[in-house]
Amino acid sequence: MTAEPTKDILEERLGRLTPADIRKAVETFRAALGHQGAADLNACVHCGLCADTCHYALTSDEPENPPAYKVNLVMAVFKRYFTRLGRTVPGWVGARELDETLTREWVDVLFGRCSLCGRCNLNCSVGLNITALITAARAALTAIGLIPPELQSTITTAYTTGNNMGIAQNDWVETVQWLEEELQAETGDPTARMPLDLHGARMLYTVNPREPKFFPLSLLAAGKVFYAAGESWTLATDYYDVTNYGLYSGEAPVAGELSDRLVRTVERLGCQELILGECGHGFNANRWAAPEWLSKRYPFRVRSVLELLAEYIRDGRITLDPSKHTEPVTLHDPCNLVRLGGVVEAQRFVLRHAVQQFVEMTPNREKNFCCGGGGGQLAMTRYAQRRLQAGRIKADQIGATAAKVVATPCHNCMDQLSELNKEYKLGVAIKTVCELVAEALVLPAQ
Amino acid sequence: MGVIEVNGKQHELNEEGFMVNPMEWDRDIAAALARQEEGLQELSPAHWAVIEFIRAYFLEKQLAPMVRAICKTTGFPLRQIYEMFPSGPAKGACKLAGLPKPDGCV
Repeated sequence: MTAEPTKDILEERLGRLTPADIRKAVETFRAALGHQGAADLNACVHCGLCADTCHYALTSDEPENPPAYKVNLVMAVFKRYFTRLGRTVPGWVGARELDETLTREWVDVLFGRCSLCGRCNLNCSVGLNITALITAARAALTAIGLIPPELQSTITTAYTTGNNMGIAQNDWVETVQWLEEELQAETGDPTARMPLDLHGARMLYTVNPREPKFFPLSLLAAGKVFYAAGESWTLATDYYDVTNYGLYSGEAPVAGELSDRLVRTVERLGCQELILGECGHGFNANRWAAPEWLSKRYPFRVRSVLELLAEYIRDGRITLDPSKHTEPVTLHDPCNLVRLGGVVEAQRFVLRHAVQQFVEMTPNREKNFCCGGGGGQLAMTRYAQRRLQAGRIKADQIGATAAKVVATPCHNCMDQLSELNKEYKLGVAIKTVCELVAEALVLPAQ
Repeated sequence: MGVIEVNGKQHELNEEGFMVNPMEWDRDIAAALARQEEGLQELSPAHWAVIEFIRAYFLEKQLAPMVRAICKTTGFPLRQIYEMFPSGPAKGACKLAGLPKPDGCV
């Protein structure tokens, strides 16, 4: 017996597009593009240099992979609807109607062949913000339900349940209490806490829901470091999810609400600082994008936990013994945290204190290659094979360092790196920076 | 899309090897997934204890359980769960239990 292929919601939706859908998509596109996007589309000089920067283009010869091709797809629609020549003589200027064929191609290329890593932006000869152009097109697709359902599902779960894995509050609280017992056992201190809803704590710590759900040791590690530093901190019982996949669907109102929940929680608990756990896009979303989505200036500070760890070391609040890590350790730079987020040196400073042999990948810092899992790729199962293929560059980079441990301050990268580890037989251990620091901690004698 | 053939029947898998139709699951499929997806030739009673708990939890709540619940019910420490399922609780254990791929960064 042969399995009857299951119908795909996205395919069904593509087959039922109405003129009203297209109008809505074009209007959403116009609003999301803004004047900056319009200027960028007019400025592209078609030099094609971006092809050499993109991990998709570098690992496959398919013509749809170079960023220039993706920009052209976006530009064709811009010209057709927003320029006089494009409206009157579309064929002459490469303008194209956003019909079923082009919509299908937009979905496949703009969702399925881009991790919004921004490496093309950095290397663009005229400085275009290509990721913003692609995000604007994704917003138009999302507005008419043409977002891959696996990505939409993660956003919907976050929006409706308060976290992107749909963890019930009692399950979260029970897990934190369990980790508190583990922390007390590890430190030998029955007063060690993993505080929940501690009003007036100095800082609110946020996590990736994947930690409590499946990988709680990274949260335990963070708790142990905060304990050693004597930090005044808390987790929240309701909104603790640092992720924000709205960044990848381009739906600003939804993305804004997800981030605003953290803002409201900081205010509810009277904290002075929001500390974002190890999450690349969560940092970019909550630190940089959210104040724009919300048109709001925060009355508190927002930092990555990496910046806090570096401060603890500088101020002598924690002591580390690098001999706990004798094997070579390399560092993966999450695109949203480093190239797009600006947190570049803190993690290096921390690792140099936590491990004996720290080796850089090449290229690194803002020139790093994406692991391949960003931009929602990890959620969009349908493009998994492309994601693994595009990750070959990262696998090669890791292999060239001969490191035994890869530190990555992002749980999304961690999952993709784990898959690359399996696919390309790298034989490395993959850890968060907090985990490496916690393992090297020298706790004061009781 | 992939398929896995078990006892003469084909079952659809998504691009990451998760079952597309979780209700088709049975123990023979779990054993076949273990070989194909996790490289586990034999499933021990400990593996089965984890898989059966995850399966029962899923049938009741349409969700994967927290790893805390897996440890608590089966009595295995966390590190042992990671050792038993090399791809972890989500892409290892939950996949073998026939669950759909969870939302989030997995």
